Amino acid sequence: MPKSLIAMTSITYAMKAKRLLNEKGIYCEVVRTPKNLATGCGYSLSVTKDPREIILVLEDNGIPHRSFMKG
Amino acid sequence: MINFDNSATTFPKPQSVKNAVALAVERFGGNPGRSGHEISRAAAEQVYAVREKAAKLFHAEVENVAFTSNCTYALNMAIKGLLQYGGHTVISSLEHNSASRPVYNLYQNRGITYSIARVESDDEKTVNNFKQLINSDTKCMICTAASNVTGQITPYKELARLAHERGIAFVCDCAQASGVLGITLDDGMDFICTSGHKGLYGPTGTGLLITNGKFPLSTIIEGGTGTTSALLTQPDITPERFESGTVNTVGIMGLGKGIDFVNSKGQHRIRTHEQALCEQLLGALERHKGITVYRSEGASYAPIVAFNIGEYSSEQVTGYLNSRGFALRGGLQCSALAHHSLGTLLTGVVRFSPSAFNDSRQVSMLIREIDKVAAGRAI
Repeated sequence: MPKSLIAMTSITYAMKAKRLLNEKGIYCEVVRTPKNLATGCGYSLSVTKDPREIILVLEDNGIPHRSFMKG
Repeated sequence: MINFDNSATTFPKPQSVKNAVALAVERFGGNPGRSGHEISRAAAEQVYAVREKAAKLFHAEVENVAFTSNCTYALNMAIKGLLQYGGHTVISSLEHNSASRPVYNLYQNRGITYSIARVESDDEKTVNNFKQLINSDTKCMICTAASNVTGQITPYKELARLAHERGIAFVCDCAQASGVLGITLDDGMDFICTSGHKGLYGPTGTGLLITNGKFPLSTIIEGGTGTTSALLTQPDITPERFESGTVNTVGIMGLGKGIDFVNSKGQHRIRTHEQALCEQLLGALERHKGITVYRSEGASYAPIVAFNIGEYSSEQVTGYLNSRGFALRGGLQCSALAHHSLGTLLTGVVRFSPSAFNDSRQVSMLIREIDKVAAGRAI
Protein backbone atom coordinates (compact mmCIF):
# COMPACT_ATOMS: atom_id res chain seq x y z
CA MET A 1 0.00 0.00 0.00
CA PRO A 2 1.48 3.42 -0.91
CA LYS A 3 2.39 5.51 2.09
CA SER A 4 1.76 9.22 2.43
CA LEU A 5 3.80 11.60 4.53
CA ILE A 6 2.53 14.35 6.81
CA ALA A 7 5.35 16.66 7.86
CA MET A 8 5.01 17.62 11.52
CA THR A 9 6.24 20.74 13.28
CA SER A 10 8.21 18.83 15.94
CA ILE A 11 9.00 15.36 17.17
CA THR A 12 6.80 16.01 20.21
CA TYR A 13 3.78 16.72 18.00
CA ALA A 14 4.70 13.77 15.79
CA MET A 15 4.60 11.48 18.80
CA LYS A 16 1.46 13.08 20.18
CA ALA A 17 -0.17 12.53 16.80
CA LYS A 18 1.02 8.92 16.68
CA ARG A 19 -0.48 8.22 20.14
CA LEU A 20 -3.77 9.84 19.12
CA LEU A 21 -4.03 8.01 15.80
CA ASN A 22 -3.09 4.67 17.35
CA GLU A 23 -5.82 5.14 19.96
CA LYS A 24 -8.25 5.62 17.07
CA GLY A 25 -6.99 2.46 15.42
CA ILE A 26 -5.16 4.32 12.65
CA TYR A 27 -1.73 2.89 11.91
CA CYS A 28 1.15 5.33 11.44
CA GLU A 29 4.87 5.62 11.96
CA VAL A 30 7.14 8.51 12.88
CA VAL A 31 9.85 8.90 10.23
CA ARG A 32 12.47 11.45 9.28
CA THR A 33 11.06 14.13 6.96
CA PRO A 34 12.57 14.06 3.47
CA LYS A 35 14.39 17.21 2.38
CA ASN A 36 11.71 18.30 -0.11
CA LEU A 37 9.13 18.57 2.70
CA ALA A 38 11.19 20.19 5.44
CA THR A 39 13.02 23.39 6.33
CA GLY A 40 15.94 21.38 7.61
CA CYS A 41 15.53 18.58 10.15
CA GLY A 42 12.07 17.36 11.03
CA TYR A 43 9.76 14.43 11.55
CA SER A 44 6.76 13.19 9.63
CA LEU A 45 3.94 10.74 10.04
CA SER A 46 3.98 7.95 7.52
CA VAL A 47 0.36 6.85 6.96
CA THR A 48 -1.49 4.47 4.67
CA LYS A 49 -4.85 6.26 4.89
CA ASP A 50 -5.66 9.39 2.90
CA PRO A 51 -3.51 12.10 4.55
CA ARG A 52 -6.29 14.69 4.17
CA GLU A 53 -8.52 12.60 6.45
CA ILE A 54 -5.71 12.25 8.96
CA ILE A 55 -5.05 15.99 8.89
CA LEU A 56 -8.68 16.63 9.80
CA VAL A 57 -8.25 14.41 12.87
CA LEU A 58 -5.07 16.25 13.81
CA GLU A 59 -6.70 19.64 13.39
CA ASP A 60 -9.68 18.59 15.50
CA ASN A 61 -7.21 17.79 18.27
CA GLY A 62 -5.13 20.95 17.98
CA ILE A 63 -2.07 19.20 16.58
CA PRO A 64 -0.32 21.35 13.96
CA HIS A 65 1.39 20.01 10.83
CA ARG A 66 3.43 21.62 8.07
CA SER A 67 2.55 19.97 4.77
CA PHE A 68 1.80 16.57 3.27
CA MET A 69 2.85 14.42 0.36
CA LYS A 70 0.39 11.87 -1.00
CA GLY A 71 1.85 8.41 -1.64
CA MET B 1 23.89 8.81 57.49
CA ILE B 2 20.21 9.73 57.73
CA ASN B 3 19.07 12.39 55.30
CA PHE B 4 16.68 15.01 56.62
CA ASP B 5 17.69 17.49 53.91
CA ASN B 6 15.23 16.31 51.29
CA SER B 7 14.15 19.86 50.45
CA ALA B 8 17.56 20.25 48.83
CA THR B 9 17.23 16.94 47.02
CA THR B 10 15.55 13.70 47.99
CA PHE B 11 17.94 10.92 48.90
CA PRO B 12 17.78 7.98 48.74
CA LYS B 13 15.96 7.58 45.43
CA PRO B 14 13.55 4.73 44.68
CA GLN B 15 15.20 1.59 43.26
CA SER B 16 13.13 2.01 40.09
CA VAL B 17 14.79 5.40 39.50
CA LYS B 18 18.24 3.86 39.82
CA ASN B 19 17.26 1.09 37.42
CA ALA B 20 15.90 3.56 34.87
CA VAL B 21 19.10 5.60 34.97
CA ALA B 22 21.18 2.48 34.36
CA LEU B 23 18.85 1.40 31.57
CA ALA B 24 19.10 4.82 29.91
CA VAL B 25 22.89 4.67 29.86
CA GLU B 26 22.92 1.09 28.67
CA ARG B 27 20.16 1.07 26.05
CA PHE B 28 18.96 4.56 25.17
CA GLY B 29 22.14 6.40 24.27
CA GLY B 30 20.96 8.02 21.04
CA ASN B 31 20.37 11.74 20.77
CA PRO B 32 16.59 12.01 21.14
CA GLY B 33 14.78 13.79 18.34
CA ARG B 34 17.86 14.57 16.30
CA SER B 35 19.21 12.01 13.91
CA GLY B 36 16.15 10.10 12.79
CA HIS B 37 17.78 6.68 13.02
CA GLU B 38 16.53 3.88 15.23
CA ILE B 39 18.81 4.64 18.20
CA SER B 40 17.75 8.29 18.18
CA ARG B 41 14.07 7.45 17.81
CA ALA B 42 14.15 4.91 20.63
CA ALA B 43 15.58 7.56 22.98
CA ALA B 44 13.01 10.10 21.77
CA GLU B 45 10.19 7.64 22.56
CA GLN B 46 11.50 7.32 26.12
CA VAL B 47 11.71 11.10 26.57
CA TYR B 48 8.23 11.53 25.15
CA ALA B 49 6.79 8.91 27.50
CA VAL B 50 8.12 10.84 30.51
CA ARG B 51 6.80 14.10 29.05
CA GLU B 52 3.38 12.47 28.92
CA LYS B 53 3.65 11.39 32.56
CA ALA B 54 4.63 14.90 33.67
CA ALA B 55 1.80 16.38 31.58
CA LYS B 56 -0.70 14.04 33.26
CA LEU B 57 0.65 14.80 36.73
CA PHE B 58 0.30 18.57 36.29
CA HIS B 59 -2.80 18.49 34.02
CA ALA B 60 -0.90 20.08 31.13
CA GLU B 61 -0.78 19.51 27.40
CA VAL B 62 2.25 17.42 26.53
CA GLU B 63 3.71 20.16 24.29
CA ASN B 64 3.62 22.58 27.24
CA VAL B 65 6.00 20.49 29.33
CA ALA B 66 9.65 21.48 28.88
CA PHE B 67 12.50 19.64 30.54
CA THR B 68 15.04 21.85 32.28
CA SER B 69 18.13 21.21 34.39
CA ASN B 70 16.39 22.19 37.64
CA CYS B 71 13.81 24.57 39.06
CA THR B 72 16.22 27.52 38.88
CA TYR B 73 16.47 27.16 35.10
CA ALA B 74 12.70 26.90 34.81
CA LEU B 75 12.21 30.06 36.89
CA ASN B 76 14.85 31.97 34.91
CA MET B 77 13.19 30.93 31.66
CA ALA B 78 9.76 32.06 32.82
CA ILE B 79 10.83 35.29 34.54
CA LYS B 80 13.29 36.47 31.89
CA GLY B 81 11.02 35.26 29.12
CA LEU B 82 8.23 37.48 30.44
CA LEU B 83 10.26 40.50 31.53
CA GLN B 84 13.30 40.81 29.31
CA TYR B 85 11.78 43.75 27.44
CA GLY B 86 10.80 45.61 30.60
CA GLY B 87 7.79 45.93 32.88
CA HIS B 88 7.03 45.54 36.56
CA THR B 89 6.62 42.44 38.69
CA VAL B 90 5.38 41.68 42.18
CA ILE B 91 7.26 38.94 44.01
CA SER B 92 6.62 37.47 47.44
CA SER B 93 8.75 38.04 50.52
CA LEU B 94 9.48 34.31 50.68
CA GLU B 95 11.13 33.86 47.29
CA HIS B 96 14.17 31.67 46.84
CA ASN B 97 17.15 33.34 45.17
CA SER B 98 16.27 31.41 42.01
CA ALA B 99 13.35 33.82 41.60
CA SER B 100 14.61 36.95 43.36
CA ARG B 101 18.04 37.03 41.68
CA PRO B 102 16.78 36.91 38.10
CA VAL B 103 14.31 39.68 39.01
CA TYR B 104 17.06 41.74 40.60
CA ASN B 105 19.33 41.15 37.61
CA LEU B 106 16.59 42.39 35.27
CA TYR B 107 16.13 45.41 37.53
CA GLN B 108 19.85 46.20 37.38
CA ASN B 109 20.43 45.50 33.69
CA ARG B 110 17.12 45.77 31.84
CA GLY B 111 15.38 48.53 33.73
CA ILE B 112 12.44 46.54 35.04
CA THR B 113 10.88 47.49 38.36
CA TYR B 114 9.71 45.17 41.10
CA SER B 115 7.83 45.22 44.39
CA ILE B 116 7.93 42.74 47.25
CA ALA B 117 4.61 41.62 48.72
CA ARG B 118 4.83 40.44 52.30
CA VAL B 119 3.49 36.94 52.95
CA GLU B 120 1.48 36.95 56.17
CA SER B 121 0.02 34.10 58.19
CA ASP B 122 -3.39 35.38 57.08
CA ASP B 123 -3.92 34.45 53.41
CA GLU B 124 -6.35 37.27 52.81
CA LYS B 125 -3.79 39.83 53.94
CA THR B 126 -1.17 38.24 51.67
CA VAL B 127 -3.43 38.47 48.63
CA ASN B 128 -4.24 42.05 49.55
CA ASN B 129 -0.53 42.88 49.81
CA PHE B 130 -0.05 41.63 46.24
CA LYS B 131 -3.16 43.44 45.03
CA GLN B 132 -1.97 46.80 46.35
CA LEU B 133 1.36 46.52 44.53
CA ILE B 134 0.02 45.76 41.05
CA ASN B 135 0.24 48.73 38.70
CA SER B 136 -0.51 49.42 35.03
CA ASP B 137 2.99 48.24 34.05
CA THR B 138 2.84 44.93 35.96
CA LYS B 139 3.48 41.96 33.67
CA CYS B 140 3.55 39.12 36.19
CA MET B 141 3.36 38.00 39.79
CA ILE B 142 5.91 35.54 41.12
CA CYS B 143 5.26 33.48 44.23
CA THR B 144 6.50 30.25 45.70
CA ALA B 145 3.82 27.70 46.55
CA ALA B 146 5.67 26.78 49.74
CA SER B 147 8.68 28.47 51.32
CA ASN B 148 11.85 26.41 51.10
CA VAL B 149 12.90 27.79 54.51
CA THR B 150 9.84 27.35 56.74
CA GLY B 151 7.53 25.37 54.47
CA GLN B 152 4.81 28.04 54.77
CA ILE B 153 2.21 27.49 52.08
CA THR B 154 1.18 30.64 50.25
CA PRO B 155 -2.36 31.29 48.94
CA TYR B 156 -1.25 30.38 45.41
CA LYS B 157 -4.76 29.62 44.11
CA GLU B 158 -6.08 32.99 45.24
CA LEU B 159 -3.00 34.74 43.84
CA ALA B 160 -3.54 33.00 40.50
CA ARG B 161 -7.12 34.25 40.49
CA LEU B 162 -5.95 37.78 41.24
CA ALA B 163 -3.39 37.63 38.41
CA HIS B 164 -6.06 36.49 35.96
CA GLU B 165 -8.46 39.22 37.04
CA ARG B 166 -5.72 41.73 36.23
CA GLY B 167 -4.69 40.00 32.99
CA ILE B 168 -1.13 39.32 34.14
CA ALA B 169 0.85 36.11 34.30
CA PHE B 170 1.36 34.10 37.47
CA VAL B 171 4.68 32.26 37.87
CA CYS B 172 4.75 29.74 40.68
CA ASP B 173 7.87 28.14 42.19
CA CYS B 174 6.68 24.64 43.05
CA ALA B 175 10.05 23.16 44.06
CA GLN B 176 8.85 22.33 47.57
CA ALA B 177 5.25 21.63 46.61
CA SER B 178 5.52 19.15 43.73
CA GLY B 179 4.90 15.60 44.79
CA VAL B 180 3.40 16.70 48.10
CA LEU B 181 0.65 19.30 47.64
CA GLY B 182 -0.94 17.88 44.49
CA ILE B 183 -0.43 21.09 42.52
CA THR B 184 -1.70 21.20 38.91
CA LEU B 185 -2.38 23.86 36.29
CA ASP B 186 -6.03 23.65 37.41
CA ASP B 187 -4.92 25.68 40.44
CA GLY B 188 -4.59 28.60 38.06
CA MET B 189 -0.86 29.05 37.58
CA ASP B 190 0.33 30.10 34.14
CA PHE B 191 3.81 28.75 34.83
CA ILE B 192 4.67 25.90 37.15
CA CYS B 193 8.42 25.79 37.71
CA THR B 194 9.70 22.79 39.58
CA SER B 195 12.67 20.59 40.18
CA GLY B 196 12.49 16.94 39.24
CA HIS B 197 14.92 15.79 41.92
CA LYS B 198 13.04 16.78 45.07
CA GLY B 199 9.45 15.69 45.69
CA LEU B 200 9.31 13.96 42.31
CA TYR B 201 12.25 11.69 43.30
CA GLY B 202 14.11 12.02 39.98
CA PRO B 203 17.88 12.35 39.66
CA THR B 204 19.65 15.67 40.15
CA GLY B 205 19.89 17.71 36.95
CA THR B 206 16.18 17.45 36.22
CA GLY B 207 13.50 20.13 36.32
CA LEU B 208 10.30 21.15 34.56
CA LEU B 209 8.80 24.29 33.09
CA ILE B 210 5.08 23.70 32.65
CA THR B 211 2.77 26.26 31.10
CA ASN B 212 -0.84 26.63 30.09
CA GLY B 213 0.32 28.25 26.83
CA LYS B 214 -1.47 31.55 27.47
CA PHE B 215 1.61 33.76 27.80
CA PRO B 216 4.30 33.45 25.10
CA LEU B 217 7.85 33.54 26.42
CA SER B 218 10.96 35.00 24.86
CA THR B 219 13.82 32.54 25.02
CA ILE B 220 16.97 32.98 27.07
CA ILE B 221 18.82 30.11 25.38
CA GLU B 222 18.74 29.38 21.66
CA GLY B 223 20.25 26.61 19.62
CA GLY B 224 19.64 23.26 18.00
CA THR B 225 16.15 21.87 18.51
CA GLY B 226 16.02 19.18 15.83
CA THR B 227 13.41 21.20 13.91
CA THR B 228 13.47 23.83 11.11
CA SER B 229 17.24 23.65 11.17
CA ALA B 230 17.68 25.68 7.97
CA LEU B 231 16.35 28.79 9.71
CA LEU B 232 18.36 31.07 11.98
CA THR B 233 15.32 31.93 14.09
CA GLN B 234 14.42 29.91 17.17
CA PRO B 235 11.25 27.90 16.44
CA ASP B 236 7.98 28.96 18.10
CA ILE B 237 6.84 25.39 18.54
CA THR B 238 7.01 24.18 22.13
CA PRO B 239 8.50 22.39 23.98
CA GLU B 240 11.42 22.35 21.52
CA ARG B 241 11.58 26.16 21.66
CA PHE B 242 12.70 25.81 25.29
CA GLU B 243 14.90 22.75 24.91
CA SER B 244 17.87 23.84 22.81
CA GLY B 245 20.69 21.35 22.92
CA THR B 246 20.60 17.69 23.81
CA VAL B 247 18.23 16.91 26.65
CA ASN B 248 19.19 14.86 29.69
CA THR B 249 17.74 11.49 28.61
CA VAL B 250 19.34 9.69 31.56
CA GLY B 251 17.88 12.08 34.11
CA ILE B 252 14.54 12.29 32.34
CA MET B 253 14.10 8.52 32.32
CA GLY B 254 14.92 8.49 36.03
CA LEU B 255 12.41 11.27 36.57
CA GLY B 256 9.74 9.22 34.83
CA LYS B 257 10.17 6.47 37.40
CA GLY B 258 10.21 9.08 40.17
CA ILE B 259 6.82 10.31 38.98
CA ASP B 260 5.59 6.70 38.93
CA PHE B 261 6.82 6.33 42.53
CA VAL B 262 4.90 9.45 43.62
CA ASN B 263 1.78 8.27 41.80
CA SER B 264 1.98 4.82 43.33
CA LYS B 265 2.27 6.21 46.87
CA GLY B 266 -0.14 9.10 46.30
CA GLN B 267 0.78 12.71 47.08
CA HIS B 268 -1.70 12.91 49.93
CA ARG B 269 -0.22 9.85 51.59
CA ILE B 270 3.34 11.12 51.18
CA ARG B 271 2.37 14.47 52.68
CA THR B 272 0.55 12.84 55.60
CA HIS B 273 3.56 10.64 56.34
CA GLU B 274 6.02 13.54 56.19
CA GLN B 275 3.72 15.82 58.22
CA ALA B 276 3.56 13.17 60.95
CA LEU B 277 7.36 13.16 61.13
CA CYS B 278 7.34 16.96 61.34
CA GLU B 279 4.75 16.83 64.14
CA GLN B 280 6.92 14.33 66.02
CA LEU B 281 9.88 16.69 65.82
CA LEU B 282 7.78 19.77 66.65
CA GLY B 283 6.47 18.02 69.78
CA ALA B 284 10.04 17.46 70.95
CA LEU B 285 11.23 20.97 70.08
CA GLU B 286 8.38 22.53 72.06
CA ARG B 287 9.68 20.92 75.26
CA HIS B 288 12.75 23.18 75.22
CA LYS B 289 12.38 26.81 76.18
CA GLY B 290 15.54 27.79 74.34
CA ILE B 291 14.43 26.50 70.95
CA THR B 292 12.81 28.84 68.43
CA VAL B 293 10.52 27.27 65.84
CA TYR B 294 9.71 29.42 62.81
CA ARG B 295 6.01 28.82 62.43
CA SER B 296 3.07 31.20 62.82
CA GLU B 297 -0.39 30.44 64.06
CA GLY B 298 -2.96 30.44 61.27
CA ALA B 299 -0.49 29.54 58.52
CA SER B 300 -0.27 26.11 56.90
CA TYR B 301 2.96 24.33 56.13
CA ALA B 302 4.49 21.87 53.73
CA PRO B 303 6.49 19.17 55.56
CA ILE B 304 9.45 21.33 56.61
CA VAL B 305 10.44 22.51 60.09
CA ALA B 306 12.79 25.46 60.61
CA PHE B 307 14.28 26.08 64.04
CA ASN B 308 17.23 27.37 66.03
CA ILE B 309 18.64 26.20 69.34
CA GLY B 310 19.49 28.87 71.90
CA GLU B 311 22.43 31.06 70.96
CA TYR B 312 24.03 28.47 68.69
CA SER B 313 24.32 29.37 65.03
CA SER B 314 22.35 27.12 62.71
CA GLU B 315 25.58 25.86 61.19
CA GLN B 316 27.04 24.93 64.56
CA VAL B 317 23.98 22.78 65.15
CA THR B 318 23.95 21.17 61.70
CA GLY B 319 27.71 20.61 61.97
CA TYR B 320 27.23 18.70 65.21
CA LEU B 321 24.27 16.73 63.82
CA ASN B 322 26.34 15.85 60.76
CA SER B 323 29.04 14.42 63.05
CA ARG B 324 26.32 12.27 64.65
CA GLY B 325 25.05 10.96 61.31
CA PHE B 326 22.19 13.33 60.48
CA ALA B 327 22.04 15.55 57.38
CA LEU B 328 20.09 18.78 57.98
CA ARG B 329 20.69 22.11 56.30
CA GLY B 330 21.75 25.20 58.22
CA GLY B 331 22.47 28.71 56.96
CA LEU B 332 20.27 30.68 54.60
CA GLN B 333 18.99 27.96 52.24
CA CYS B 334 19.65 30.36 49.31
CA SER B 335 16.69 32.51 50.37
CA ALA B 336 17.79 36.00 51.34
CA LEU B 337 14.27 37.46 51.20
CA ALA B 338 12.73 34.76 53.39
CA HIS B 339 15.45 35.17 56.02
CA HIS B 340 15.10 38.92 55.89
CA SER B 341 11.38 38.44 56.64
CA LEU B 342 12.11 36.03 59.48
CA GLY B 343 14.88 38.19 60.94
CA THR B 344 17.36 35.33 60.60
CA LEU B 345 19.81 36.75 58.05
CA LEU B 346 22.65 36.59 60.58
CA THR B 347 21.94 33.23 62.20
CA GLY B 348 20.24 31.25 59.45
CA VAL B 349 17.98 28.39 60.54
CA VAL B 350 18.27 24.64 60.94
CA ARG B 351 15.96 23.04 58.38
CA PHE B 352 14.44 19.59 58.81
CA SER B 353 12.82 18.17 55.68
CA PRO B 354 11.84 14.49 55.61
CA SER B 355 10.99 12.32 52.60
CA ALA B 356 8.88 9.24 51.99
CA PHE B 357 11.90 7.16 53.00
CA ASN B 358 12.29 8.55 56.54
CA ASP B 359 10.56 7.01 59.53
CA SER B 360 9.61 7.77 63.10
CA ARG B 361 12.53 5.79 64.56
CA GLN B 362 14.98 7.99 62.66
CA VAL B 363 13.26 11.13 63.97
CA SER B 364 13.48 9.76 67.55
CA MET B 365 17.22 9.28 67.09
CA LEU B 366 17.54 12.86 65.82
CA ILE B 367 15.53 14.18 68.77
CA ARG B 368 17.96 12.54 71.21
CA GLU B 369 20.81 14.52 69.64
CA ILE B 370 18.80 17.76 69.58
CA ASP B 371 18.00 17.24 73.29
CA LYS B 372 21.74 17.02 74.01
CA VAL B 373 22.43 20.26 72.12
CA ALA B 374 19.55 22.07 73.85
CA ALA B 375 20.82 20.88 77.24
CA GLY B 376 24.29 22.24 76.49
CA ARG B 377 25.86 18.77 76.53
CA ALA B 378 26.92 18.53 72.89
CA ILE B 379 28.54 21.63 71.41
